[in-house]
Amino acid sequence: MTSIGTGYDLTNSVFSPDGRNFQVEYAVKAVENGGTSIGIRCKDGVVLACEKVITSKLLKAGANKRIATIDRHMGAVSSGLVPDGRHFTSRAREEAASWRKVYKSPITTADLAGRMGGYMQAYTLYSSVRPFGVTAIVAGWDSELELPVDGQVGSGPSIGSGGKAKDKKYGGPGLYMIEPSGIYWGYYGAATGKGRQTAKAEMEKLNLAEGKMSLLDGVKEAAKIIYVAHADNKDKEFELEMTWISNLEGPTKGRHQEVPKELLEDAEKLAKKALDGDDDDEEETKDENKPAEADKMEE
Amino acid sequence: MNHLPQSWGRPRDDIYGAYDHSYLQSNGPNQHTQSPIVTGTSVIALKFKDGVVIAADNLASYGSLARFTDVKRLRSFADSSIVGFGGDVSDMQYLDRLLSSLDTREAYCSSGHSLNAQNLHTYLAKVFYKRRSEFSPLWNQVLVAGLDAESKPFLASADLLGTTFSAPSLATGFGAHLAQPLLRKVAPDEDAVAKLSEEEAVQAVKESMKVLFYRDARSLDKYSIAVVTKAGIRLKEDEKLENQSWAFADKIRGYGTQVN
Amino acid sequence: MSAMFSQNPLMNGPNYSFNQAPSTAAAGNKEHGFYPYTDNGGSTLAISGSDFTIVAGDTRSTSGYNINTRYSPKVFKIGGTTSSQDDATLVLSVVGFAADGEALKERLDAIVKMYRYQHGKPMSVKACAQRLSTILYGKRFFPYYVTAILGGLDEEGNGAVYSYDPVGSYEREQCRAAGAAASLIMPFLDNQVNYKNQYIPGSGVGHALVEREKIPLGRTEVEDVVKDAFDSAVERHIEVGDGLQMFVITKSGIEEKYLPLKRD
Repeated sequence: MTSIGTGYDLTNSVFSPDGRNFQVEYAVKAVENGGTSIGIRCKDGVVLACEKVITSKLLKAGANKRIATIDRHMGAVSSGLVPDGRHFTSRAREEAASWRKVYKSPITTADLAGRMGGYMQAYTLYSSVRPFGVTAIVAGWDSELELPVDGQVGSGPSIGSGGKAKDKKYGGPGLYMIEPSGIYWGYYGAATGKGRQTAKAEMEKLNLAEGKMSLLDGVKEAAKIIYVAHADNKDKEFELEMTWISNLEGPTKGRHQEVPKELLEDAEKLAKKALDGDDDDEEETKDENKPAEADKMEE
Repeated sequence: MNHLPQSWGRPRDDIYGAYDHSYLQSNGPNQHTQSPIVTGTSVIALKFKDGVVIAADNLASYGSLARFTDVKRLRSFADSSIVGFGGDVSDMQYLDRLLSSLDTREAYCSSGHSLNAQNLHTYLAKVFYKRRSEFSPLWNQVLVAGLDAESKPFLASADLLGTTFSAPSLATGFGAHLAQPLLRKVAPDEDAVAKLSEEEAVQAVKESMKVLFYRDARSLDKYSIAVVTKAGIRLKEDEKLENQSWAFADKIRGYGTQVN
Repeated sequence: MSAMFSQNPLMNGPNYSFNQAPSTAAAGNKEHGFYPYTDNGGSTLAISGSDFTIVAGDTRSTSGYNINTRYSPKVFKIGGTTSSQDDATLVLSVVGFAADGEALKERLDAIVKMYRYQHGKPMSVKACAQRLSTILYGKRFFPYYVTAILGGLDEEGNGAVYSYDPVGSYEREQCRAAGAAASLIMPFLDNQVNYKNQYIPGSGVGHALVEREKIPLGRTEVEDVVKDAFDSAVERHIEVGDGLQMFVITKSGIEEKYLPLKRD
C-alpha cells in the first residue's frame, strides 16, 4: 500500500490515481480481524458456522447469536464489525419481506444476494457514508417443489397440465458471499474472517463441487473447519455457532434453524478429536495439549 | 324544538318525512369494504380432552354461485395452531400472509419460544378491531384452534368487529344455527370436554358437517378437517362427506323430484 | 344511533342487539354498508355499601338470537401489578359492544397500572372515575358503545360506584344497573336498596304516609339482592343468563364469586 498517505484514502467514493478505493480496502481489513465464518453448500442443504469470539467471561454462554435468520428458508452470518453485520441482517430481512409483499413468494438466495450486493455497493459511492465493515455469507434453500403462492387457497386444475411444466426442476441449495465492495459470488464453500485461508484450504479438500457432500457430513466438516481455523486466533476463546437449512424432506424441512444441540455437540467432539490427532502428529513441542483444555472451558 | 336530543339538527319528520340516515355515510369517514365478495361459509370446531377438532368445507361462493370448489379454509400457523376462516376469501388470504410474516418475524430470535393459539387469537382480534375502527374491516369470522400457554386445549372466535369469545364448541355463520346445538349436546361445558375423546369429537364434527351440507345451500361435500393436539397438527384437506342419507328429504317440498 | 339512547320499547321494539341498523328504509338504491357496532347483550349491576362494593354481571354473550358463549366475563379487576390482578383495588364492568368493552378495559387497566408505577400508590376510585370519563369522551365522535360502571372504595373506605354513559357523562351513585336488563333491574334496586315507594303500613294516607326507615344494607343482604335481581332478569330477558359473576370489594381485597344462572 504505497499510496497510503497520499490523501486518497481519507474519504469514501474517491479513486486513487491507480484506480483503487482505499476505504473499501480498509473495510476488508476490518473483516480480516473478525472471527471466522464459513458456509458449506451440500447436496441436500446448506450449513453456516461461525467462530464466535468470546470478548468477556461475563457474557452468557450461547447468548448473543451471530448467525441470523433472514427469512424462513434463509440465514446469514458475517465476519467483521458486529454492528455492521446487524444492519446487514436487518436490511436483508426487509428485502426478503418486501419481496414477499410484491411477489407473494419467498425470495431466492440468488436474488437476496443480488439485492444485498447492490445495497453494500451503494455504501462505496458516497462521501457521507463508509463501506460495510463486514463480509457476509448468505445461505438458503430454494424450495425444490413448485411453491404455492403465499396465501394460495387451491391446488389448480386437476386435469391437464394445469399450467405446470412437466419434470421441471426447481430450487436447491444456495450459498453466496458478499464483500464490502459489494461484490458477490456463489460458492460451493465460502469462508471469511481471520481464519479464512485455513478454512478455504480445508474446504478445497472436500471436493464440494462434485455435489456429493451430505448435509450431516457438512455439519461435521463445518465444525472441524472452524476448530482448525481457530488456530489462527488461538489466544482468544470461542463458541462454535452453527445453523443449517435442509431440503423439504430433510430435518429442517426447508427452514433455517440452529443445528440441534446433540448434533452440534457430537460434531464438536469429532472436531476436537481430529484437532488433537493433528497436534500429536505435527507439533509435539507445543505445551501438552493446551488447546484441548482451553476448549473444554467453553462448554 | 323537539325534546329528544337525537332529533336535534335534523329536518322535522312531520314535514320532510323520516330522516334518511344513509346520507350520513357518504359524509362520514372513508369506508372501504362495503361487503364481502367471494365468501366461505361455516367453520365448526369442538374441544376434546387433549385438543381441538376443527372443520370447514372447501367451497368459496360468489354470491349464490359455487365459484371455487378447492379452497382450503383451514390455515395452519407455526405447526401448532389452526385458523379456520369464514367470510371473505381475499381477506383470508391477506391474513394468511400476515400470519406468515408474523411467523417469520418470530423466527428471527431463535429462543425456541413460539406463539401459541391463544397468542395468535389475541393478535388476530387486535388486527380485526383495528381495521373495524378504521372503517376498513377484514370481513371474516375466524376460529382459532390449538393450545394455550398451559398446553390446554384452546378454542376461540374473532370477527370483523373485533368481537371475541371462547367456548367448548364454536361455529361460525350458518353453523352457529345448525351445528352449534349438536356440538353443545356433546360438550355442554368444560367438564364434558375433559371427558370427551378424540374419536367422539371427530365423529360429532363430521356429523355436523353433514347436517350443514344438507341444509346450507352455500356448502359443499368436500371439506377440510384438522385435529390439533400437543403432538401437532393433523390436517386433511380433501375429505368427502360419507354416509349421507337423503331419506329425510323425501317428503320435503323442493328437495326431491317433486318440486311443487 | 337512536337505539342507543331510547330505552322505550314501544318506540323501538324490544332492545335486541339486531335492531340497531336504521329501521326506516331510505328511498332509492341503498347499499349495505359496514356498521362498526354490535350489541352482545348481558347485564351488569353494582351496589355500594358502607365498607364494601359489589360489582356483578352475567356471563352470557349473544349475537341476535344466538348465544356466542356461556362464559364471557364483563366484570374485570383493574390496575393490579400481576397478570392475575391479585393486588387490584378497582373493578370495572362493561356491557354493550364487547369488543369496545375489551378495548376500554385494556386501556384503563394500562393507565391505572402506569399511575401506580409512576406515583408508587394505587389510583383512587375518584381519580380513576374522572380518568375513565376522559377516555370515553376522547372518543366522543366514534364512541365506545358500552355502559361502564366502576366500583371501589373511596378514601374514607366507603363503597363507591360510578356509572357512565358511552361518551363519558358520569356520576357517583348508590347503585346502578346497566345493559340489556337495566330497565328490569333498576326499578327493583330503587325499591330494595333505596327503599323507594316503601311506606310504613297504616301510617297514614296520601302525604301523611311515612316512608320506611332507610337502613343501609349489609353485605349478605346486598349479595342476595344481586342474586335475586339477576334471577329475575334471566326470567324476562333472553340476552341475560348462563352465569353470574360477582366481585366483592372490601379493604382486605377483592373476592370473586361465580354462580350458575339458568341457561335457557
